[in-house]
Amino acid sequence: MHDPEYFLPLKSNWFCILLALAGGEQHGYGIMQRVLERTDGKIRLWPATLYGSLKRLIEQELIEESAERPAPEFDDARRKYYRLTVLGRRVLAAERDRLQDLVGALRKVEALE
Amino acid sequence: MNFALKMYRWLARAFPHEFKMMYGADVIQLGEDIVEDVARQNGVTGLARLVADIAIRVPVEYVTEMRRDLVYAVRTLAKSRGFAAVGIISLGLGIGISAVGVSETLNLLLRDAPGARDADQLVAVQGVSYPYFEHYRDQHDLFSAGAAFQPSVPFNVLLPGGGKPERLFGQLVSPEYFSTLGVNAARGRVFSPDLDKPGNSPVVFISDAFWRQKLNADPEAVGRTIRVNGQLATIVGIGPKDFDGAMPFFVSEIFVPTTVPPAMAPELSGDVIHKRESKGFIALLRMAPEVQLKSAEAGLDALTRHLDEDSLDPARNAKGRRVMLLPGGKILPIPRDLLPAVFTFMVFLDGLIVALACMNLANMQLARATARRKEVAIRLSVGASRFRLIRQLLTESVLLALGGGATGILLAFWVANLMRRMKLPFPMPIDFNITPDWRVIVVVFAIALVAGIGFGLAPALAATKTDLASTLKEGMVGQMRGYRRFGFRNILMVCQVAGSLTLLLIAGFLVIGFNRSNNVEIPFDSNTMYLLSLDPVRDGYSAEKAANLFDRLPQELQSAPGVRQVALAVTAPFSPLAAVSVLSATGQNGAPDQVVRGVARNAVGANYFASLDVKMLEGREFNSRDENIEPGPDKALPVVINTTAAHAFFADSEPLGRRIADSGKSYEVVGVVKDLSAPMSQTAVGQGNTVVPVVYLPLTKADFAHPPINGMIVMIRADRPGADTMQGVRSQLATIDPNLNPFDVHTLTEEVDSTQSYLRLATFIYGGIGVFGLILASIGLAGVTAYSVARRRKEIGIRMALGAQKRQVLALVLREGGGLVIVGCLLGMLAATGLSRALSAFSNILGPSFQAGTHDPRLLVGAPVLLAILAMIACYIPARRSTKIDPLNALREE
Repeated sequence: MHDPEYFLPLKSNWFCILLALAGGEQHGYGIMQRVLERTDGKIRLWPATLYGSLKRLIEQELIEESAERPAPEFDDARRKYYRLTVLGRRVLAAERDRLQDLVGALRKVEALE
Repeated sequence: MNFALKMYRWLARAFPHEFKMMYGADVIQLGEDIVEDVARQNGVTGLARLVADIAIRVPVEYVTEMRRDLVYAVRTLAKSRGFAAVGIISLGLGIGISAVGVSETLNLLLRDAPGARDADQLVAVQGVSYPYFEHYRDQHDLFSAGAAFQPSVPFNVLLPGGGKPERLFGQLVSPEYFSTLGVNAARGRVFSPDLDKPGNSPVVFISDAFWRQKLNADPEAVGRTIRVNGQLATIVGIGPKDFDGAMPFFVSEIFVPTTVPPAMAPELSGDVIHKRESKGFIALLRMAPEVQLKSAEAGLDALTRHLDEDSLDPARNAKGRRVMLLPGGKILPIPRDLLPAVFTFMVFLDGLIVALACMNLANMQLARATARRKEVAIRLSVGASRFRLIRQLLTESVLLALGGGATGILLAFWVANLMRRMKLPFPMPIDFNITPDWRVIVVVFAIALVAGIGFGLAPALAATKTDLASTLKEGMVGQMRGYRRFGFRNILMVCQVAGSLTLLLIAGFLVIGFNRSNNVEIPFDSNTMYLLSLDPVRDGYSAEKAANLFDRLPQELQSAPGVRQVALAVTAPFSPLAAVSVLSATGQNGAPDQVVRGVARNAVGANYFASLDVKMLEGREFNSRDENIEPGPDKALPVVINTTAAHAFFADSEPLGRRIADSGKSYEVVGVVKDLSAPMSQTAVGQGNTVVPVVYLPLTKADFAHPPINGMIVMIRADRPGADTMQGVRSQLATIDPNLNPFDVHTLTEEVDSTQSYLRLATFIYGGIGVFGLILASIGLAGVTAYSVARRRKEIGIRMALGAQKRQVLALVLREGGGLVIVGCLLGMLAATGLSRALSAFSNILGPSFQAGTHDPRLLVGAPVLLAILAMIACYIPARRSTKIDPLNALREE
């Protein structure tokens, strides 16, 4: 397994997807909707890009296909569900720390001014 | 919106197979789900982005897959290193050898002379007198500029620092030379008709190489004076770095204008600038814009005809074309008419080599594909698409081919370097620059790629065309089609054997022919003869003083200790002759004149044959009196002829006392000598003869006054080998005149060696090509036999279980291979014989060699037998493995 640092800084598509999956497993359409909602409609992951990224994230073992299905009333049988792996979670955490450090550094500069 | 969705679906189906299997349906589904939302929120822009997104991702996915294929291919090849190495090396050899050939041809024929502006507009006429050139230059409707020059002119140059003068080669150029070429000076100025007039103090222009190597890149070099042929001359300019002069095949370090006094350039003595008979110049003309080559040629032809009519030249009324325009801006002015022939020969030979290498690779791939059937079947059964697998296998072939291409280019550079260091049999330095240029590299990689795809496709198709179930069930062997007599593989194999034999035979014809027609027979120990060159005119002598020197030189050197015999000659003995003259023997008793074409002339001094230990068959050889004859209408020059010439001129009648004539002069035969070896002689077209008729003329005052570009050759025959004799000769020369600069001092052995070095190179290259063909054919055969053994494993197992002997099994396998070899050999013999006929008709250099070689039984029998033996060994090794098949194991695989 790769060191989480290896993936940093995360590509913005990857970051959006991992973030969308942080709240629980989701299918492609759901990921797209979550990203759209979270960014107030500013970022739309277009389908081909979305699945291209999903494929690579699976290859890198940051996410995996989920065998578990949600409650039957929410389930859409046609769709595959994806969820974060342990590595994926750690990568997301590492990215969070990196961004926090950056923001902290920025704040310090602002405080000096 | 519907259109966008249609596009979207269509693109989604274009994804690579693997991606489509995994996500294709999801991508389409998601697109369909959001398309209405997108249209509502973002309108047409949104729809466009939806389609654009997928349009970008499709190629991205392909590239990703290809990258993975590449990694996979590298890994697979790394696992079977032997296979990869053999493939890369055989392809590399093929490509490398042909790259050298292509580079050489491209360089000589197509590359523009570096530094010249619009080199395509430059044309050249050879053998032009200066007055004619002036008329040509002034045809302003045809030519925008023109210059006359002589390449490969030797100059004795003494640098400002003093010391011994150095013999350098350069060009004698008219003042318009640089402006015609479109070359400016890097420092100082170029020559110009306004500044450089006859009577001005002498000036020279030097090359960048001269400036850097001889003057240590002295920034003050312009304006300095150096001594050229003993005369003071001022350096007025230095050429740009990439400028090597017009026709840079001939190395030029110094440029001297035609306006200098004859003392500085003996080529100008005798007022050649105003003599229309002295046709020693090349006219370099720049065609005016819009002027076509044909019209320029026709215009010059008409002008020349007009000029000739005013002359007293006996040929003035001759018919036919008088002027042939040569490409003037190229490395070497090769007539355009010859290009197709040269190209055909090159393309054919190189094509054959590359084709052989490719066929070999295809064969190896086929054999390998068999071994990989199971891997392929498994991958197919787990859902890999056939297209994907073929691409995977193709990636491997392309990788191999590119590896071969890279190896080939390295090899080409190596061979080119080897050739550059070789001394070629020319009297002047030659820049045989065959450094493979970018065009060749492009061509080579294109060939490699085409080869990789073309010859990787068939095996890949074959490998993926398997019946899955039976392959997996039967294990290793897979479902095989029955033995087919005219199967692709067998035809390939026959082609390969035939191609290899053709190559081997053609190469053999050339090698044996070269060696036979160029074998040098020397009737004494060649270490006892020394050759040295003298060029007193370029050491500052006047014509009279030079003639005087040569008159007494042999006697004076003869007195040095250990010297047996001294003689003078214009060319070194046993060196190549140019059989290009046409002479006729005057008929006796009213018989018509006997005209003989392709005669070589050779000017030799007194006691020439005595110093070579060659006895006269009839008559006498030249003595010092012959050298003082002033030929006139009533006084013919004496000549000695060789037996071939005697036969050609006089058949069986007595040659002594008979007359031979060329266009202007008449000669009397005073002696006959046996044929002496003259390797690599240039024979006349269609002469097809390895022994040339030679007419030996006596050296005369004119020869002494203007020694040829390699100087006058002094042949010193010593009593015994060893350099101490030369010590005495050198001190003797120094007492005659310390300013004389003998150069090129070497033994006859070295002389013959250096002539032969070119031959050895040719032998090496052509021999290498032949051996290469053999090796390839053997590898290919071994591969095919191994394949056939693997294919028939079960059959052989059954036969052995039923009691077949090992010998019988071996015979079974060998018979198949043997049949292919025999058919291939027959076809190869036919092709080689036909080709050598065609090729010898093509070229007057190859012709004699082919004639000498094609009848050699060593080749005609030896080559097929050698190939057959090698081929059978190549079959035998895998065939032996067939006898080791354990019937139990082979059957259990059922």
